[in-house]
Parts: sequence; C-alpha cells; structure tokens
Amino acid sequence: MPNDLQVFVPAPDRPAPLDSTGVVGWIRKNLFQDIPNTLMTILGAYILFVVVGAVLNWAIFNAVWSANSRRECLDAVGRSGACWPGVFVWFENLIYGLYPKDQVWRINVGFLALVLWMVPLWMPRVVSKVAIGLSAVALYPLLASYFFLGGDKGIIWTALIAAGLTGLIWVWATALSETFKGKTIGVLVVDSLGQADADEARQRLTRRLATLAVFIVACLIISSLSFVEVRTRFWGGLFLTLVISGIGITFSLPAGIMLALGRRSNLPVIAMFSTLFIELFRSVPLVTILFMFNTMLPLFMPAGTEVNQLLRAIVAVCLFAAAYMAEIIRGGLQAIPKGQYEAADALGLTYWQTTSQVVLPQALKIMIPAIVGNFIGLFKDTTLVSIIGLFDLMNMARAIGEDTNWLGLFIEPFFVVSMIYFVFCFAMSSYSIGLEKKLAAGRDR
Amino acid sequence: MAITETGRNSDARSRFSRALYDARIRAIVLQVLTFVLVVGTLIWLTNNTMVNLQARNMSADFGFLDVSAGFGIGFTLIPYQEGDTYLRVFFVGIMNTLLVAVVAIVFATILGLIVGLARLSNNWIIGVVARSYIEVMRNTPLLLQIIAWYFGVFNLLPRPRDSVEILNGLVLNNRGFYLPAPVPETGFAILMWVLLTSVIGAIALHIWAGRRLEKTGKAFPSILSGIAIVIVVPTLAYAFLGQPLSWDVPVLQGFNYVGGMSVPPSFCALIVALSVYTSCFIAEIVRSGIQSVSKGQLEAAGALNLPANWTLRRVVLPQAMRVIIPPLISQYLNVTKNSSLAIAIGFPDLVSVWMNTSLNQSGRAIPIVAMTMGFYCAVSLSVSAIMNVYNKRVQLKER
Amino acid sequence: MTKPGRMIEIVKLNKWFGQFHVLKDVSLSVREGEKFIICGPSGSGKSTLIRCINQLETHQEGSIVVDGVEVDPKGRNHREVRSRIGMVFQNFNLFPHLSVLDNCTLTPRLGLEMPKAEAEEIAMTHLSRVGIAEQALKYPLQLSGGQQQRVAIARALCVKPKIMLFDEPTSALDPEMIKEVLDVMVELAEGGMTMICVTHEMGFARQVADKVIFMDQGEIVETNEPNAFFSNPRFDRSADFLSHIL
Repeated sequence: MPNDLQVFVPAPDRPAPLDSTGVVGWIRKNLFQDIPNTLMTILGAYILFVVVGAVLNWAIFNAVWSANSRRECLDAVGRSGACWPGVFVWFENLIYGLYPKDQVWRINVGFLALVLWMVPLWMPRVVSKVAIGLSAVALYPLLASYFFLGGDKGIIWTALIAAGLTGLIWVWATALSETFKGKTIGVLVVDSLGQADADEARQRLTRRLATLAVFIVACLIISSLSFVEVRTRFWGGLFLTLVISGIGITFSLPAGIMLALGRRSNLPVIAMFSTLFIELFRSVPLVTILFMFNTMLPLFMPAGTEVNQLLRAIVAVCLFAAAYMAEIIRGGLQAIPKGQYEAADALGLTYWQTTSQVVLPQALKIMIPAIVGNFIGLFKDTTLVSIIGLFDLMNMARAIGEDTNWLGLFIEPFFVVSMIYFVFCFAMSSYSIGLEKKLAAGRDR
Repeated sequence: MAITETGRNSDARSRFSRALYDARIRAIVLQVLTFVLVVGTLIWLTNNTMVNLQARNMSADFGFLDVSAGFGIGFTLIPYQEGDTYLRVFFVGIMNTLLVAVVAIVFATILGLIVGLARLSNNWIIGVVARSYIEVMRNTPLLLQIIAWYFGVFNLLPRPRDSVEILNGLVLNNRGFYLPAPVPETGFAILMWVLLTSVIGAIALHIWAGRRLEKTGKAFPSILSGIAIVIVVPTLAYAFLGQPLSWDVPVLQGFNYVGGMSVPPSFCALIVALSVYTSCFIAEIVRSGIQSVSKGQLEAAGALNLPANWTLRRVVLPQAMRVIIPPLISQYLNVTKNSSLAIAIGFPDLVSVWMNTSLNQSGRAIPIVAMTMGFYCAVSLSVSAIMNVYNKRVQLKER
Repeated sequence: MTKPGRMIEIVKLNKWFGQFHVLKDVSLSVREGEKFIICGPSGSGKSTLIRCINQLETHQEGSIVVDGVEVDPKGRNHREVRSRIGMVFQNFNLFPHLSVLDNCTLTPRLGLEMPKAEAEEIAMTHLSRVGIAEQALKYPLQLSGGQQQRVAIARALCVKPKIMLFDEPTSALDPEMIKEVLDVMVELAEGGMTMICVTHEMGFARQVADKVIFMDQGEIVETNEPNAFFSNPRFDRSADFLSHIL
C-alpha cells in the first residue's frame, strides 16, 4: 500500500580523480604503468624515432630534388639522400609503361570512363545500382579495350564497342532520371514520348526503339574514331598492373561463385570436377601456373596459333584467383543455416532462385572481409608477371636503374612503387572494414 | 510447381512424375554434358600437344630422368656434381625448397609471435609500433620485398676482404653468409646418445611429475627441470668426453673465405623477406587466437583464484590453439609455395632449377611440369589431411 | 578493520569508468550468513558493485574489507581476496574444452594443491548437491543452460568460499530452467552461506533475503527487509521500479 513517498534526490556526479583519467591518467595507464611497461615505452619510442627519423632524413631532408644524372646526385649527397630526379623523369613510364606518350590520353580517358561509370553507385537517389554494377562488369571492358588497344575494327567489333558506349550513356541517363525525376529511364522515355497510357507491348517497343536509336548514334560515334593500335607489348607500369588485377578481380568473383556452388552440388560429376580444379590451383604456387601457361600454352594449342603473352598471364591469374575465391565463398555458403534452405524449399523456390535471392546475398555479406582480402592479395600477386617478362609496375621500377643516366638507381624507384602498392592495398582494406561495419549495422540490433 | 492444383488425381500424379522425371533427367543430362565438355577439351588439348611434340621431335616420357643434366647448381644441400642425372637435380631442388621453407617458417613464427603479443600489449607505443610494422609489411607485395632485400641489401654487402663480421666466425659479405661448420670427432656419437637420453629423461620426468600432481596435488616444475636436464647433462658429457665437437671456422684466405658452411646472399634475402612478410600474418593469427578466448573465461578463472600460470596453460592456451593452429598451418603452406619466388633472384629452388633450367635444357615440358605440380600438390594435400585429423580431434564437444 | 561478525564492509565506495561516475558513495555492511539481494534498473551499477568486491573491477575511492582483508584499489592483492569469495556469472563461463568434472576439479587440484582423487570426491559431492552428478563426464556445450549454471555453482563451491556472489544468474536462462537454478540457490542459502545476489527474481528475494537493496544510477536508494520493501517502498524511484517488475 503506497504511503507518502519520499522524492529521491540523486547525488551529483563528481569528476573522476585526476590521476586516473584524462590525459595524465591515460599516459599513466598506457605508457608508464609499471617498470617493465615504462622500459617498453622507452624502447618503442626509440625504435619509432630511429626508423622514422632515418626514413625522413633520407627521403626529404637530405634528398636531391633536381639533377641531370645519378652521378650528380651521388656527388652532391652520396648515398645518404634520395635521388628523386630519376624517378621524376621516369614517372610517366612508371604509370603508363612504354605506351606512346602522345597516346597516353587514351588510357586516361579509359579510366575516367570507369570512374564515370561507377559514380552513380554513390548517388543516394539512384535505385538501379545492381544493374549499373553489372553493366560495368559486362560492357565497360568492351569500351575500354578499344581505347587501350586501338587498331582496325570491323563491323562486329564496332558494334561491340558501341554497345559499351551505349551502356555508359544508359548508366548516366538512369542516374540522372532517377535522381531528378524519380523514375527509371525506361519509364521516363515512355512518358516523354507520350506513350504513358499505351499497353505494355507498345511501351516495350518504344523503349527498345529508343535504345536502338542510341545504339546507332553510338555506332556512328565509334566509327568516326580511329585509334592507332598500341600492342600489348607496350603496356606496362601501373596501367598494366591495374588491367591485370582489374580483370582478375572481375572474373574471380562470378567464377568463384560458380565453382563453389559446383563443389557443393549434388551432382557428382560437377562436384568432382569443381573440387579437382579448386584443389589443384590452390596447391601450387602462382609462379608455376604462370610458367605453365607462358611456356606450355603454345604446346596445347593447335600448331600455328599465336596467343598474346599478356592474355596468357591474365588467364593464369584469373583461374588462380577463381580457385581461392571459390574456397572463401564455400566457407560463406557453409555458414548459412540449413533452415534457410528449408524455408526456401517450403516456399517453392527453385535451386537458382534460392541461390541467387536467399543464400548468396547472405554468404557474400558474411565473407566480405575475406573477399576483399583476396582482392588485395590478387593485386599484390600481379607483381609475379614480372617474372615472365611483362613490364608491370615493379619491373618498370627496375628498368629505371638500367637507364644510363640513372644507372644503379634502385631504392628510390622501389620506394615510390612500394608507396603506390601500400596506398592501394591500405585503401582497399580500410574500405572493407568500413563496408563491414555498414552492413553489420543491419545485423546487430 | 504451384501448391494448389485443381487437377484430377491421375492428372496430378502424372504431372508430379513428369516433374520428377524432368529433374532427374535434367541432372543426368547436365552431368553428361559437363563430363563430355571437360574430358573432350582435355582430349583436344592432349591431341594438340602430341602433334606439336612430334613436330618438334620431343617426347613426353620420363626417360630423360636418367640423362646427365649438364649444368651446375650454385647451392645444394645434398652432394651434386655437374654430370649428375636430372632426377638428382629434381631432388636437389626439393631439398633447397624445403630448406628455405623450414628456416623461414621458424623465423616467421618467432617474429610473428613477438609482434602478435606486442600488438596485444597494454603499452600504447609498442602497440603502435607493432601495428605499423604489420600494415606496412603486409600491404607491400612479397616479390617486391624479396627483390628489395636482395638488390638493396645483400647484394650491396662489401666484398670478402671488407666483410661484416658479426661474431667470430659469423661473416656477411657479398658472396653470402658464412657460419662455422660442426666437425664431429671421436666420441661425438656418444654425445648424441647422451642428448637423446636426456630428452627421453626430460619427457619421463614430465610424465612422472604429472602423475605425482594427480596423486598428491603437489606441483613440480617439470618443464624448467626438463629444459635444465637437456642443457646441463649433454654439456657435462661434452666436457667429460674431451669436447668431441670442433668447429670449422671460415677464415679469410686471399680474396675469399675458406672453410665453414655458407649460404648465398639470395638465400639470405629470401629468408629475411619471407620471414618478415609471413610474420605479419602470423601476428594477426596469434592476436585473433588469443582474443578469441572470451573475457568471461579469464574472469571465471580469476574468480576461482586459479593461479595465473595455470590459467594460461589450462584455460587460455588450449582454447586459443584451436583457433590459431589451422590458419597457422595454412600460412606455413603459403611459405612453402612462396619459396618459389626464389627464381626472381636466382636461388636454385625447385621451380628455378627444375621448372626453369631443366625445362629449357631438356625441353621435356610435360613431365617436368607434372613433377613440379605433383610435388606441391603432395605437400599441400598431405598437410590438409593432417589438419583435418587435428581439427576433428580438438573439436569442442557440442550437442 | 572489520567489526566482529562482519563479512563484508563497504564504506563510501566510488568508481568511475573514464569520466562516468558509475558508483557514488556506496556503503554496505554484510554479516556472516546474511543474504542480500541487489536490484535496480539496468545501468544502475549493481553488477559493477559486486565485481568490485572480488576485484574484477578496481575502485578509485572508498574502502572494501572482505573477511578482514582490505581490497586494494589497484588490484594487487586479488589472490587473497578471491580465495574467500565464489562467483557465479550470468553467462556461466564454464570452460568448454573441459568436462564438467574437470571444470570443478581444476582449481582444487592446481590452485589448492589437492590430489586428484580427493578433488574429484569433493566435486562429486557438490555436483550431487546441485543435482547434476550424472552429467559429470559430459562437456558444457552438451548441457542445457540451467544445467550449465548449476555446474557453475558447484564449481564455485568446490573452492570452499565463505561468500557467494551471484551476478544475474538466471537472466540468460529460458524460463523453464530458472526454477531449477533458484532451487539450488535457496538450498545454498538455507545451508547458511553468506550471499549477495544481483537479480530480478523477486520471488526468490522474498523467500531467502535478509535485506533487499535497491540501486539506481550508481547509488543505493533504499535498503529494507524484503516484505517491507515490496509492500511499502519509501522512495518514488523504488515504487516506480517495483511497478514495472511486479
């Protein structure tokens, strides 16, 4: 029975005692808690000071920033300072390889096209992001390959390239229409041509005619372009590294998914072949696979066929990456509880519907850190193509040291190349951590 | 197939059987098609290969293994002369690969353990140093590191006359790393037996101490005693037997060092790069293994007043090891596979000596590639099999 | 120094997590054989309070004396303090790689230097007491939640504590298993054990408690006999809390 209740007055919060919190408290706890800890702090500070100091001294304070040859650098500071002019002179080669300097703009436009293609993925009001992503995978390579390779084009090739260009136009039309008008581009076209009330068949016809019109315009544009052929022999540097890893990454994910599904399949023949492929490619070093494709592919092909050396390396890298990706995805598939499959069965979904709508989205989400880790590994592994003679970023760095003006210049180009690799890899792993956090928000309440 | 069917009974049954028939037929057709496609492609490739080999007058059999190889190898663990057979070259390559793998694994594990524990440290600066080390070394390609260590460090070492002498007998110069070689003398065999007996004795002591702990509850420092026995007893025997082990110390004679054993600079670069690179991954494995033991376990052990060393041995380590061992073994396999990068700096490992040099000399591409792949497959698959056995044994028993 | 018969004496305990003042001037006195229930809304500091008693958390101000031993604020004498206290956790915290019997005999054998046979005998006695003797060779993850918690209680009893602390022992259990654990705790209480229990189980409190302590926002709001507390709370906060849980 309630009687007169006293009102409880909570005591005020007091600030914590000074030596246990705040900056002083943090320093005491993390750096100087007891004697061994204090010694470790001194040791750690010493290591940092020495290493960072040495690097800064060499790279900045003692470095030579302008010279005409390595001899001049050595005369000026000896080995205690970096000789950066060599790297500056060769910098464009580090990025573009031996690509003719007057055609380098094609590479820039090609990569710019990729950036443009991907920008809508970050626009908040765009809905068709999956379609845009898939179009990037399927159609961008067609457009980019013409920009990078150039050369003569027949009718079929022109049509394919035009398809690529059409894709880009479609992507931006979709992005703009969804952002500003809130409708998909198909609906917008139909509406603006006054067909909003027509039946489904007519609307579809209108959309297809519109696409055809754009395609024809694209064909005309492409036909008018005439790019000099730059053979893959001249591709090199960061450009080549990005091409190889880009193709590898794009191929390995769908191929890995198919292999993982195959390995878990109930059909024994498919399971056996998938398992054999995966186990073989995962057991052997990438070098052996590259060698095998490089030296043995001419033996495997009918006499007289010429297979481009870059293509051989790309095939090797793709198959290798697919096998590793397959195991990662298989791990994700195994983590899906049986109840999900049973629920999908009960709802009457087919195998492919279950896989694509229920199982794969969950499996991929769980394995994002491992998948991105695999991409990072793939990016680093592209250095191995230098062993079979391709001029990737690392080999270009070595080539600088063979220029007569800069003979023996080794550490400086390698330093720059290491920084480039570090920036790419670190960015990818930070992105994966951020992506993981964002997607986990949907999981934990 | 819709759930509600308004067909008559026989209609429904025939529809059902058609669907089942269909699914099974589909499965069989798909498998047959896949089989035909894969095997067909293999047959086509083999056919091409046969044709091409004949055109170049090469054969694809293993007969060449008895033929003399005709080239020298810069570094071998087993004795090798220039006229030895190709088969011997294969074994030399395997031994070199395994040597690199084992040495790199040892260093990588020690380094990885230190860095992993540093990463977990309460001390902020040590944690920062460890994290920076891991991020920098992990995000740079291994091949880049190997070449950097070789061309940037070990190749730039001074010539033998101006060598860097670390200790008396440990010498570094641009021809390699020199160490004293052990020379067994009379009585050395007895010393080895003494060593073996001490090890067995230490193990026996450990077992006895365990039994005593169970019976009386009193602990005995069997691990420390065991280590002491294995060190002290052979040392006493060594002195007593008149020091039956001498050392062939490398000595500078003229332009070069003579005596002792040596490893080429490419070996040093390979080991250092592999160890540093792999240690980052091992550090992360160690860290996640230790962090996988939930705080509640430590709190429970603390609340029970279990002494700290026993908490580590009986509560934390058994649970952490379950999480650490599988990825750790996987990293060891990676080291073995990555040793193949030796070819970039000229160290004669299996790929360099067999898949490159021997293949170019003999032209027997198919058997050579098959043997190389066979070796790596054998190593990978046997290690995987052992891992599966281990995993099954240590699995936590659940409902 | 404790007054005669005082098992636990807490005087003006203050604790901060960083700048967050989580325990404010808490004072408490427990005599031998007394059973205290601590209740309150989440975030009130109840778990933190009992974790300070056995030094799983350290305090910055105030004093805690357990059976004559002062708990060091920097946590340096935890072995002495914890030898007198047993604790049962919300998440059981059993060692999953050891069998039930090994869970119970681990500390007696390695910490108290007991021979294995003697440790197992004592363990079986306690396991029978909590009604789980037949599961002695099973592993924790093979048991239900209620069974695991009973094992946890037996494990804590095997090291002969004078005081038992319970940190929401039934909050992680499915409803049908709560009773089996509470029955064990009631039997333990009737055997004369000094107990401090953080719980929401008010039926248990009425049955067993000598005092009920209500905490809110780091302070003790009121301390009273269970019947008086439940029927006649003195403060508005207590009444509010009771109206939500009863």
